[in-house]
Order: sequence, then structure tokens, then C-alpha cells
Amino acid sequence: MANDTTAPRPFDVQTVEFLIGLMGKHELTEISLQEGDQKIRLRKGGVPVMVAAPAAPPSYSAPAPAAPPAVAAPAAPAKKYHEIKSEMVGTYYARPKPDKDPFVKVGQILKPDTLICQIEAMKIFNEIKAECAGTVVEICVNDKDPVDFGMVLFRVDPS
Amino acid sequence: MFQRILVANRGEIALRVIRACRDLGIEVAVVYSEADRGAPYLKLADKAICIGTGPATDSYLKVQRIIAAAEMANADAIHPGYGFLSENAHFAEVCRACKIEFIGPPEAAMEQVGNKDKAKQLAKKAKVPIVPGSDGILKSTDEALKFAQQVGYPVLIKAVAGGGGRGMRIARNDVSLVSGYSQAQQEAEAAFKDGSVYLEKYLEQPRHIEVQILADKHGNAVHLYERDCSLQRRHQKLVEESPAPNLPEKVRRNICDSAVRLVKAVNYYSAGTVEFLLDKENNFYFIEVNARIQVEHPVTELVTGIDLVREQIRIAAGEKLRFKQDEIVQRGSAIECRINAEDPANDFRPSPGTITKWHPPGGPGVRLDSHVVTGYRVPPNYDSMVAKLLVHQPTRTEALAVMRRALREFTVEGIQTTIPLHQEIFNTAAFVDGRVDTTFIERVLLPSFSKGK
Repeated sequence: MANDTTAPRPFDVQTVEFLIGLMGKHELTEISLQEGDQKIRLRKGGVPVMVAAPAAPPSYSAPAPAAPPAVAAPAAPAKKYHEIKSEMVGTYYARPKPDKDPFVKVGQILKPDTLICQIEAMKIFNEIKAECAGTVVEICVNDKDPVDFGMVLFRVDPS
Repeated sequence: MFQRILVANRGEIALRVIRACRDLGIEVAVVYSEADRGAPYLKLADKAICIGTGPATDSYLKVQRIIAAAEMANADAIHPGYGFLSENAHFAEVCRACKIEFIGPPEAAMEQVGNKDKAKQLAKKAKVPIVPGSDGILKSTDEALKFAQQVGYPVLIKAVAGGGGRGMRIARNDVSLVSGYSQAQQEAEAAFKDGSVYLEKYLEQPRHIEVQILADKHGNAVHLYERDCSLQRRHQKLVEESPAPNLPEKVRRNICDSAVRLVKAVNYYSAGTVEFLLDKENNFYFIEVNARIQVEHPVTELVTGIDLVREQIRIAAGEKLRFKQDEIVQRGSAIECRINAEDPANDFRPSPGTITKWHPPGGPGVRLDSHVVTGYRVPPNYDSMVAKLLVHQPTRTEALAVMRRALREFTVEGIQTTIPLHQEIFNTAAFVDGRVDTTFIERVLLPSFSKGK
């Protein structure tokens, strides 16, 4: 149970050693594991091969919101963000003009009619509006990247 | 020659064009909709670009997105495949205006042959026979009788404002023509607010014979002989073959020469097919031009040994045709079965879903054109064709035997397919004897097929 302080925590040294053993035994290059909002990825070096992680060993309790262990990769927040996806095929422009500031910055608050970028197709620049409200958490594309339909442009925290 | 081509289509024809590009050493990009995301053939291109959601109107028919994808991929030409935008003259025009070559015919030719009336005028100009019809609207029963006696019964009374099979009625003699004529007028007035009618000769149980042509940008045009596509259900072809069985050599020559005359008259270039109906006396009548590469093109590739998609690319790049008419031979017999994800035992209900086992046939003389692999999920948004199974042999008898063997080897699990229907077709005497017409499947085969189930 979560309150049992003697039970091993999800990503403690024992778990890490167990995972390293698994990797050696099955000749895996990489293991990625996620439990709640805790995530760990171990990579051997060389080309990583994605392996679907088996369920965490059954003896572990539900994760306490503890500080991430030293070996773990930075925990990616599993919180649900709204993704603004491209509905066009073309080139993404972060700035209205090359010498101007970008339309949005991380941390900026968006309203539905905020201009967030331009996408150029067939020499025509289309202004793209946020069509949602919230705070910009991540900008997922770089200035002048080609984008196609459905590509994630921004992640927004709607709260 | 092009550096990079964008394939603006999906499924088996996209794979076909990707292969042709690779054969010519040309880089290739392909578009896909969200319904086709993850399809295995996409990985065979150098670049795959998502252009919209499943419905074709939001993806494969979106001109702007396709052009944008071509620019993104730095493509200097677009191959439209068949269906979708392949016969859209406006799309061809936009491509070329953006300095991207459209691998297909010139817009002007597309517009001419795409319009029913213009196509008829074209046929007249090229001295190609068309289905005899009363020129213009009939003004009296006397006119109607005169026409019917001229062309011979039976005739079809058609509403000018009708279309798609509506407002048509057959008359087999003077008496039924007179009564049918006034009835048709009344019905047309009620249904289409226009009581004008005209007459056309009615062809009973015709055969569908089409001619493959290739033409370059330098005025050269050749035919690659004919295909018989008489086996159809609801105007969808099921089986195609070349040569057409039991076709007198003189008729073959005339039909093929007519096709070349017709496309030359409109300054056509690229691949195309001229379609005809053949009556019981072996008279042929032009019906339409398909200004694109067709589904059944491999049938012609097998008997002539010419790769039509590669030739389309060469023609579009400005090369001259590399063969003269007398160098093109029709060797042996080739037959194609279109395999659809449909259940023939349940009124051809579509059978989308995941294919858990896909073991296609192989061996000498067998060709399979398909984008499907084990584990492939057939999306519900598009036509249901999953494979084209072809055979090529020195004689038709051997081709029939090889097709029976190939159909028997073909194992598909997870979805229903029309393989059982094809097995029935290849065991039907009329087809084996080459005595079928466009009404055969619906009139004879399907009624007995469902009885047997």
C-alpha cells in the first residue's frame, strides 16, 4: 500500500538493478517504463530498440509522489495537454516576419483568436488562430519546418 | 527526366507508381490520409506526407494540400493514379501552372473527352462509329418511327433531362414505340420538369471492348490492342482479359485503329483507354474515353511486355515513344480478377477489417498487384479492392487453368473476399467459351450463384 514505507518504491535501486538484469538476459538495448506520472528509460548505447515494457513487478505498491531517483531520466509529465494540430500542408513560420518576435512563447496565455503562427502553402501565407484557450506549454515545431496534416504544433495547458 | 515524383493516390495504384519510379531511379514521395496512416506501402516511398482525414473529400481530393505536399517534397511531377483527381482538368491545370508536371493528358484533351457531347462530336470528326441516336429532341411520333425504322429495333427512348439510367424505356416494335413515346414524355415531364425525349439504338447484351493507347508529346500515338471487360456487376468490372475471345481479326484491327484516330484528333498524350460496345453482329460503337491509367492496365502490360506506368512517366518527361505500332505484339492470353473485400454470399456487403492471414498465390505466369499484407486493416472509406490477380499464358485455355489454380491457392482470413465468385466464374461454361456479355453476371451467374449457397 502507498503508506507502507518499507515496500520498495517504483524506481529505486532495486528496480533499476532488476531492469538492468532483464536487459542483459534478453539482450535489450533499451527499456522504457511508466507508472502514473513516473517514467524511467534505460538505454545501453548504440541504436535503441523500443520494447513494450512489461507491467511493473507485482510486488510494488502504488507510487508515492516521491522525488525522482538519481538514475531515472527526467519524468515526463503525464498530464493531459491540448494539442494544436496542423490542418494544412505547408511550411510553418513562427514569426510574422524574419526580424520580428515569434507569434507565441512558452508560457504565453492564448485566447481562441490569438494568432499563433503562419503556414505557407503555394506562396500564400495563412494565419493560424489558436481556437482554444490556455497556456502554451510546448512549441513542437521549429521555424520554417515543413508540416503536414495532423502534425502537432503546440501543446497547451487548458486549466 | 524528373528528379522526384509525388504520388497523389493510395493503395495498390500508389504502390504501382512507387515501383515504377524506383525502376526508373526516380525519388518518390506519397500522400496519405489518416485512414491510411501506417499502411506498409508508405514506407517504400522516400517521403510520406499526411494530407487530411479519412474521407477523400478531406484528403485525396484536396487540390491545395496535394500541391503543397508536392512543393514540400520538392517534386517536379505528380502522378494522380486512377480515380480521385486523375481526370480533373482543373487539377492538371493547377499543377502545371505551379511548374509541376501532371503525369497525364493535356487539360484541353481532358475537357473534350470528359464531356459526353464533345466526345461524340470528336468521334464523328475522327470517323469513329457512335451509338446511333436521333440528333436532337424528337418532335413527333412520326419522327420517332422514322428513326427507329432507320436504325432498326430495339430502340431506347431516353429523357433528355434524365441520366444515370433514369428516364429510359425500351421499345421493340412500332406499336410499343408509339405508346412508349407518349408515356416517356409524361414521365419525363413529371420527374425532370422537361418532357423532351430522344431515341438511341438499344444494344442487346453487348460486349465491352476497350483499347489501350499511348501517345507522346510529339504527335505519335499507338494502340496496345484491346481488352474485353464484359464481366461487370453494377457497372463495376470484375474480370478483364486480352485478347478478347472470339473477336475476328478484322474487327480487332478496326477497333484499335479507330481508337488511335480518335485520340490523335484531340492531340492527346500519355496513357488512355477508348471504350466501345460490340453488338452481336460485331459492329462496334464508341462510348467514352478514360483519360487516365486504368485499374486493368496490367492485362495489357502482360500481353505486350510494355510497362505502361513507366511509359507514362517517360512521356510526361518529354521523351518520344520508343516503339512503332508494328513493333507492338499481343502475345499469349492474360486475364485479371479484381479481388474485393466484399461478401458475395451476402449481396456483396463490404467487409472491412483486419486481414489476419494473407497468403497470395505465386508461381509461373502469376502476377499479383496489391498493397495488402498480413495484418493490414482495410479502411472503410474507400473502394473495396484489395488485390488484382493476373495470369499470363501462351493460350487462353492455359490461362484459365492457371487462374483456377491461383484462386485455389489464395488464402485470405479476417475478411470476406470475392474469391469464391471468381472461382464460380472460371467454372462457368459461357465464360470458358468466351460467350459472355455485360448483362451476364447479373442476368445469369449471380442468380445461380446465390441459389447454390
